Amino acid sequence: MKNLKKVSLYLFALLAFGFASCESEDPEKENEEEVITDVTLQFQELNASNALVGSVFTFKASDPQGIEVGKTPTIQSISLAKGKKYQMTIEVYNAIEKEDITKEILEEAAAHQFFFLGQVFESNFFSIQYADAGGIALGLKTTLTVSPSTGTNNSSMRVVLRHDLNKSFTGASNPNFSNFVQAGGETDLDITFPVILN
Amino acid sequence: MIQKAILLCLAMAVSLGTLKAQKCDLILRGRVLHLENNQPIEAAYVWLSESATGVATDANGNFAIKNLCSGQKTIQITFIGHKEIKQSLILSTGKSNLTFKMEEEAVALTGVEVHGHREAVQSTTAVSTLFGEALLQSRGESLGESLKRVAGVTTFSTGNTISKPVIHGLHSNRILILNNGIRLEGQQWGAEHAPEIDPFLADELTVIKGAETVRYGPEALGGVILVNPPALPTTKKYTTELNLVGNTNGRAGNVAVSHAGGSGKYPGLGYRIQGASRRAGNIHTPNYYQGNTGMSEASLSGALGYSSSKIGTEVYYSFFTTELGILRDTHTGNLSDLLEIIEKGAPFNQADFAYTINNPKQVVSHHLAKLKAHYHLNPSWKLNFQYGFQQNNRQEFDRRRGELNARPSLNLELFTNTTELILEHNLKSQWTGSMGISLIQQANSNVPGTGVTPLIPNYELLNGGFFLMEKYIKGPLELEAGLRYDYRTVSAARFVGKDLQEADLIYQNGSIFLGGMYQINSNLAFTSNLGTAWRPPNVNELFSQGLHHGAAAVELGDANLDTEKSLKWVNGLEYEGKRATVELTAYANQIRDYIYLNPTGETFVSLRGTFNVYEYLQADAFFYGLDLSGTYSFTEHLNGYAKGSLIRAKNTETNTYLPFIPSDRMDWGLSYSLGKNPDQGRNRITLSNVLVARQHREPIFDLAPAPPAYALFNLGYSKKLELFKNTLSLSLQVNNLLNTEFKEYMNRFRYFTADMGSNFQLKLNYQF
Repeated sequence: MKNLKKVSLYLFALLAFGFASCESEDPEKENEEEVITDVTLQFQELNASNALVGSVFTFKASDPQGIEVGKTPTIQSISLAKGKKYQMTIEVYNAIEKEDITKEILEEAAAHQFFFLGQVFESNFFSIQYADAGGIALGLKTTLTVSPSTGTNNSSMRVVLRHDLNKSFTGASNPNFSNFVQAGGETDLDITFPVILN
Repeated sequence: MIQKAILLCLAMAVSLGTLKAQKCDLILRGRVLHLENNQPIEAAYVWLSESATGVATDANGNFAIKNLCSGQKTIQITFIGHKEIKQSLILSTGKSNLTFKMEEEAVALTGVEVHGHREAVQSTTAVSTLFGEALLQSRGESLGESLKRVAGVTTFSTGNTISKPVIHGLHSNRILILNNGIRLEGQQWGAEHAPEIDPFLADELTVIKGAETVRYGPEALGGVILVNPPALPTTKKYTTELNLVGNTNGRAGNVAVSHAGGSGKYPGLGYRIQGASRRAGNIHTPNYYQGNTGMSEASLSGALGYSSSKIGTEVYYSFFTTELGILRDTHTGNLSDLLEIIEKGAPFNQADFAYTINNPKQVVSHHLAKLKAHYHLNPSWKLNFQYGFQQNNRQEFDRRRGELNARPSLNLELFTNTTELILEHNLKSQWTGSMGISLIQQANSNVPGTGVTPLIPNYELLNGGFFLMEKYIKGPLELEAGLRYDYRTVSAARFVGKDLQEADLIYQNGSIFLGGMYQINSNLAFTSNLGTAWRPPNVNELFSQGLHHGAAAVELGDANLDTEKSLKWVNGLEYEGKRATVELTAYANQIRDYIYLNPTGETFVSLRGTFNVYEYLQADAFFYGLDLSGTYSFTEHLNGYAKGSLIRAKNTETNTYLPFIPSDRMDWGLSYSLGKNPDQGRNRITLSNVLVARQHREPIFDLAPAPPAYALFNLGYSKKLELFKNTLSLSLQVNNLLNTEFKEYMNRFRYFTADMGSNFQLKLNYQF
């Protein structure tokens, strides 16, 4: 009987311990580190000898809340001159965490790639080449040529960032590769910019 | 629909026949049970001295002595380790059914075998158990896959490594899984969250198909699964079991070892240790590999127990850990990604075989510790106490940029304490029953640092319940009824951005059940059970707010959801004859305020692209169906089996079909035993065929139409041989013999890939 008492005492202690150790933690604020809130397309004109001339101008797509229901992103119209050639650089930013994601994309160039699609390419208003350092197909830096004659002044360009794709997939080296899905991976960005041609 | 179900049950009732006893041609029928737990005693010897006739009881404890004349008789029942029963009775036409309960003898008598104090499933609901040979055949499979052998149980799976059992169309939080008597508490709400349990620890898997809330607590709407390890040895003997399984598909292998022993010095003291591990690589469909579908798993369990005639105690611990790769292509960026892959119906990533597990993946571990004791106050009254502690850690990793890739995007830690105190009585008269209180305390925390707003909040849950059950046994008739009341509080909190969201919720509910069993004759038994059950809404249904990558969907919870209430009626008919066995289960389940995820039809646009928006809604639903399984011996050598299930489920408010309800299916096969003693099954060939219909009852919205019907063939050969005086079982099984390409409606990966191709499996089991 003495033993039984001891056992029940231990039992009770164990129980008390079990119940006490199990309180849920106070919730903590979580930094949204994966979110992309701002995508900036930066343009500068290139002359006939491919030297940068003129001033830099930018167009931006932003979604300050990241992924949240009920909010739609704001997308500026890209305005470019017919018959000219530009260098386009893309900057990707997380405004919630004040983090430059461009750097990360560059560091993981082997797992990322931008594709450029939409009416501007389908109607041959634009032509584009990757111009990243080291001759890789990434798309953070590109050369964009605007056709001198376009039937319309209004068009659109779709910018897609793929992550984790097979970059050596047949056709994937083409910045206009519309079957990018076939190369695997997933979409990090998919933005359609309105385009105004002057 | 209700009428249909009722008609069916009526038809069953009408088919019952009774045998009439005539003068001087009387039959004495009876049943012999353990007094302690009402489990039937097989092979008890029943002797009538006047007529000098004797019989042994069958597996159900039943006996029948025929051709008796009326008059006074003396009945004598003996069974090893139990007190003899000697009773005189007057036999006349009206008194031919008796129940005898045998009391165990004290352990002090050396040489007496004490049986382990394992609780029998005391239910008048349809119960199916997987053990022995059938369980041996399932070795190496997950819990969900193993249980598919029971008619009426299917799986809801995410690829080939994650599968959740589905009982009568219900799964996840609508069924309960008990690991050695303790409610398994993991993050069961998720469709891609498999139960954290290794079936290797069990020597018996039991499925209770009724609403068993009264006995086991809230959430047991669809049924209960009991995963029971073997009883601990109580005498000095040592047994070791070794299992080895190898598969060609996924190049997967299992090793499992268990060892149990009893003390010679202290009779009644016993222990068991058991461990298992599994490793698998990428699964191969008939035409390609599924990239990143490998897994690794390990489990460990141990138990130490002491039992005497008065007292029984057991400490038990189990640990389970797994790392599961998720098919890379299922992690889609947005809706157009998802639609592209659905259109192709196969992954875009071309993978080779590999064991490596990359992101996306899950890393889960589960600890369970249990303390159990019972004390016999006297031969009729017993006090049971049980305490369980569980810790569940779940980490889910997504493909992310930079150093984030090494950090989980979901990191949950769940603690659960369960305590139960039950007073049981098992009177020598016809009454047995129990009453008890149970407490569940649970705390869920998000481990900070994921860089993602938590999908579910931190919460604390407290559930108190008390219940009462009583059973009346008279001859072939068993009647039982029970009631329960539960009170639950949930308090939840989380940050969404910089805003603190808090909620305090209270749920309470009563449940009742009424059931009966009638042993029509020694071959045929009928059971019927009507019970209510309830399930409070789960935290994800209340608070989900975020992106579900696999479905390219934003899911929105609703904190105002009400509890789900169900009324389930299950009827079973069991026939066991010389050549044939048949088990038929028919059920109807009316669920009020059934919670489901409904597509709103809206899309949500972000810089990442477009997503579908889903919300949690409630509506009344009605489920009904049939399970049928049977075996037939054509000759000594040739045996056949068949089983099938039909389920119909509808949202009765909108009159539409519910998503992810198993389609009609059946499984049948023939086995041929070679050799002189075919009943021992020493050399057996089995050919089986699985037929699965297309699900024609589809919900209005689905990402892709239901896949077509399919048929699979499996071939197996098993051999038993003697090795050092012990039995070695070997088996070679070929699943999907014809390497058929198919997709299963209940597999969420059907949107992305074909199912598993052919697999050659070699199994070895050695017990010594």
